[in-house]
This record gives sequence, structure tokens and C-alpha cells, in this order.
Amino acid sequence: QSMSLSITPAQTAAWRKQIFEQLSERSKREMENFKHYEQAIEQYLHAFINEI
Amino acid sequence: MADDKDVLRDVWFGRIPTSFTLYQDEITEREADPYYLLLPRVSYLTLVTDKVKKHFQKVMKQEDMGEMWLEYEGTSLKWHYPIGLLFDLHASNTALPWNITVHFQNFPEKDLLHCTSNYVIEAHFMSCIKEADVLKHKGQVINEMQKKDHKQLWMGLQNDKFDQFWAINRKLMEYSVEEGGFRYIPFRIYQTTSDRPFIQKLFRPVTAEGQTHTLGDLLKEMFPAAVTSDDGEKKYQVVIHGIEPMLETPLQWLSEHLSYPDNFLHISVIPMPTD
Repeated sequence: QSMSLSITPAQTAAWRKQIFEQLSERSKREMENFKHYEQAIEQYLHAFINEI
Repeated sequence: MADDKDVLRDVWFGRIPTSFTLYQDEITEREADPYYLLLPRVSYLTLVTDKVKKHFQKVMKQEDMGEMWLEYEGTSLKWHYPIGLLFDLHASNTALPWNITVHFQNFPEKDLLHCTSNYVIEAHFMSCIKEADVLKHKGQVINEMQKKDHKQLWMGLQNDKFDQFWAINRKLMEYSVEEGGFRYIPFRIYQTTSDRPFIQKLFRPVTAEGQTHTLGDLLKEMFPAAVTSDDGEKKYQVVIHGIEPMLETPLQWLSEHLSYPDNFLHISVIPMPTD
């Protein structure tokens, strides 16, 4: 298996920041203009405890 | 900076706006309007498309309705792949909404598995979770759970209950500090340009010397073309949950935070858009 160098704190900050930013952009891109669409799953209280 | 737990929520509550259109050759009594849904990225098509079926049922005769199956630009969509993976693999970089075509005839037996009930999806989902735990913990965590815990994982996914799911799933994400991570990372690498459905091999989150393995290390080993090219030009996008994590991202962290509910890291490698 390949070797990787130790990850520095600066690098850690960079990849974490980039993931947060991209997820935020994804939400805007995929959901902001489509809020009027119907949800595929209804949010209801499911009595799953009684089923198991 | 936001908490890592926010990533889990963002991943869980990802939605893909989708337009469902009935295939032109289906027999209907009157014209069928398209149907629009927000599909949860982490779920499965056959688990969340009851409303689509009911919508088209209104304009069709019962005898003309076989098992519903879905297609995107000529590709039959595998219900046993998570929705987010299907979108990333086949429809990244296209305009939204995602335009899916609905069929009730000519089921593509060679391409798709039948899905006769939600029990089939549940069995597939639990089988994936068990396989992932065999890789991570030799199966010890999932085997030590009670049946009601297994059920809670499934019901959490089925009913879109984040807290219910993660109350149990967090146990599947634990590891000892000395080990520095899971035994092996449950991952699958998908590409549309290959007949092989996906790449899956054993890969550890740390080297024998204790160095962290990154997403880049995994790709260099499994799919070198995804990270390097002769002319230095980027030829592929590496997409997980609709984002492109940096190649320096530690694999263990990705496995804990960007795995799908089936506990696998589903990675799409797609050619760079040409325009």
C-alpha cells in the first residue's frame, strides 16, 4: 500500500473547510429553487417501537 | 468552524429535485403529467417512489401496469444503489431537476434486480451494513447488537429519522485509538465507462508505519487515472454525495462522515465535463 506524508494542521483545516463549503453549495444548488417540490418521505411519527 | 456532526446532518438531509415522466410508449387512458419529488440522497428509489406509482396509476389500466422501473437517458437505474450515488454517477453536471423516465413494461431483466417489496430493500441494506462491519470490526459490532437495533437502523432510514438511525449507527463507527481507525475501509469506486460494476478491495486507513491514508492514496492504488494523467490535466471528477473532497482528506474521516447509511463510502469517478 502507498505511503502518505503526515497531514499538517493547515492541511486539515483546508480539507475540512472545503467539505463544509461544498456541502453548503450543494444544498443551495440542489434544494433552494425546488422547495415547492413534494417530499418523497412524509415526516410522521412512526410507532416503530411497537413493531419490534 | 462548523462541527463535524453537521456534516452527518448535511449528508443525511441531502435531496435531489426530480421530475418523473411516463415513458412515451406506455398505454394510458389520458395524458399523464410529470410528477415532481425531492428524493433523499441516502435512500433507495423503490423505497421512496410510491407516490410516483400512484400518480401514474390514475391514468393507466391495472393490466397495463407491470413492475415499475426507472431509467435516465437510456440507463436503467439500479434500485439497490443509493439515490445519491445514481445521481452522481449518471447525472452530475446536468441541469436540475433530474429527469427520470418511468416504465411499467419491458422490465430490463439483464440490468435490474426485481424489487417486489420493502423487505427486499431491507434485506439488501442490512446485508451491506453487515459486510461493512466485517471489514471494519470483523463483524463484531453488528453481531453483538440486538435484533431491535438492526430494526432501528432500517426504520431510521425508511422513515427519514436521523436521530433514530444515528443512535445505533454511531456504534458501527467506533474504533480504538491505538488502532487509529477501522480494520479496513468499506468503499466502492464506480465509473460509467467500465463493464465492471465497481472496484472494491481491502484497504487500511493507516499504513503499517501508522501514517494516515488519504483519499488520494486510495485512488492512486485503485484507479490511478483519477488522480494523475500524462499531460497533468485533470480528466476525472471524484464525487461523493455531490461534492469533490480534496485528495488530502483522510480516508478514516471520510468513512466516518461521508459513508452512506449502508456504511459504505460510495465514490463516483466521472469524466470531466467537456464544455
